[in-house]
Amino acid sequence: MEQPDINVVYTVKHQLPLIMYIGQYFFFTGLSAGSFVISVIATLLGRREFKPIGKITAVLAPVLLIIAPMNLIADLEQPLRFWHLMFFYNWTSPITYGSFLLTAYPLVGIIYAIMVFTDRQRPAKVLGIIGIPLAISVHGYTGFILALAKARALWNTAAMPTIFIVSAMVSGIGLVVIIAAIRLKWFDKKASPETKAQDKRLILQLAQFMAYVLMMDLFLIFSDILVLLTAHTDALEAGMLILTGNFAILFVGVELFLGALIPMILVLGPTRKSLSAVVVASILVNIGVYAMRFVMVIGGQTTPLS
Amino acid sequence: MAEDIRYGMVIDVRRCIGCQSCSITCKAEMSVPLEVFATWVKIVERGKYPDTQRYFLPRLCNNCENAICARNCPTQASYKRDDGIVMVDEHRCIGCKYCIASCPYDVRYINPFKNIVQKCYWCQHRLDAGILPACVETCPTRAMVFGDLNDPKSEVSRVLATNATQVIKREMQTEPHVFYIGADEAAMSGYEEEINYFTEPLYLPKVRL
Repeated sequence: MEQPDINVVYTVKHQLPLIMYIGQYFFFTGLSAGSFVISVIATLLGRREFKPIGKITAVLAPVLLIIAPMNLIADLEQPLRFWHLMFFYNWTSPITYGSFLLTAYPLVGIIYAIMVFTDRQRPAKVLGIIGIPLAISVHGYTGFILALAKARALWNTAAMPTIFIVSAMVSGIGLVVIIAAIRLKWFDKKASPETKAQDKRLILQLAQFMAYVLMMDLFLIFSDILVLLTAHTDALEAGMLILTGNFAILFVGVELFLGALIPMILVLGPTRKSLSAVVVASILVNIGVYAMRFVMVIGGQTTPLS
Repeated sequence: MAEDIRYGMVIDVRRCIGCQSCSITCKAEMSVPLEVFATWVKIVERGKYPDTQRYFLPRLCNNCENAICARNCPTQASYKRDDGIVMVDEHRCIGCKYCIASCPYDVRYINPFKNIVQKCYWCQHRLDAGILPACVETCPTRAMVFGDLNDPKSEVSRVLATNATQVIKREMQTEPHVFYIGADEAAMSGYEEEINYFTEPLYLPKVRL
């Protein structure tokens, strides 16, 4: 494969088209989709002890989804023309699916949150069932944005949307655990000790769920890397870039070790009954998922094409 | 008028002397700003002294039949004309840069003054007026041949029919319409050295309105 003594004397360097605004947008939609799914699960199960979690996540989902598209608009070269996305749509472009999903999903999310807070169970359940596919596709389509930009070998894999959805679940549950723990610690003074113990048990259960989803995420990343390393030359190059190249510290160190392995040990190991260990694990998981967005968005564009 | 025309280009790399005339003419004709290029000549050196040779690869938009940029453009600002030229509507482009990320040939750029995406249009304003693209006209060794691929009597069809040709990244199923004669494989694949983006760009630049 190695060609002897080839020296590129002159070529044009290109600017990086997609910068970290896009990565941050992926991160925020992921958090939103993850917390919405948790909220709907809590509502559908309908048990009384799930209520606080259901309410926290019902607020989080639309709030995060208002922050997320701001990144997209800031990234545009012509931010004032963002409305072109709605009026001049192109059905073969994944960004067009996104612009409609990003309008529909927060609307459903806000109405759902109102129903949850006014304690109307039936409409909340119906809206939740409508919202789950919306939430998943709002995050899944971001995977398609990368996967269908076929020039980049790191992005162009069928596993990309699934990896995005699963890592969104992981980071979303992580955020819910952090916020539920903050509520338990500082904003829940009047509650009886029994409710407090119940809330703590619930947070620990959520963290365990997060660890299992994290395992699925690790398996998907493993299979993606394995296929990259055995596919065509560009894919091998992209795989080696994130395993041993410039992005190795972020991918192996931060994403896999700090953001997946250590949280899993904290949540499933001997510290599994400790609230602070679980919160630390959730923070680490979110750092890991942010690093994953960075590696995917920036790393994918680092292998030059010409 | 343009219904049965499909433009295409053949570049005879054996004739190219790497003078960069096409790059400069393109800059002048299309008002391409500093730091960005719609056409350039990549130069690759092979071997060790005394057995060395330089290879050139003139690069420009392939105006693909199956253009991934036009397919991925969310606002239809990028579209394909009937004669095969992929255009960008300056007033519709929102600058999402998804087309740049999707293009396997790295030929699109952001115009820093207009804040939109631009590319090589094979000088459609000249073609519509009945003259050849600027780079083809200026090439001193006549390495570039341009014309209608649907017309079997055109020069480009004759050259294409009687020579072994290659296209860049055939595996991308974009059907590029710039054909090369005698192009070097190393020049057609990616740049060998990795660009370290940790030191180069700012990840979150200021918002331009």
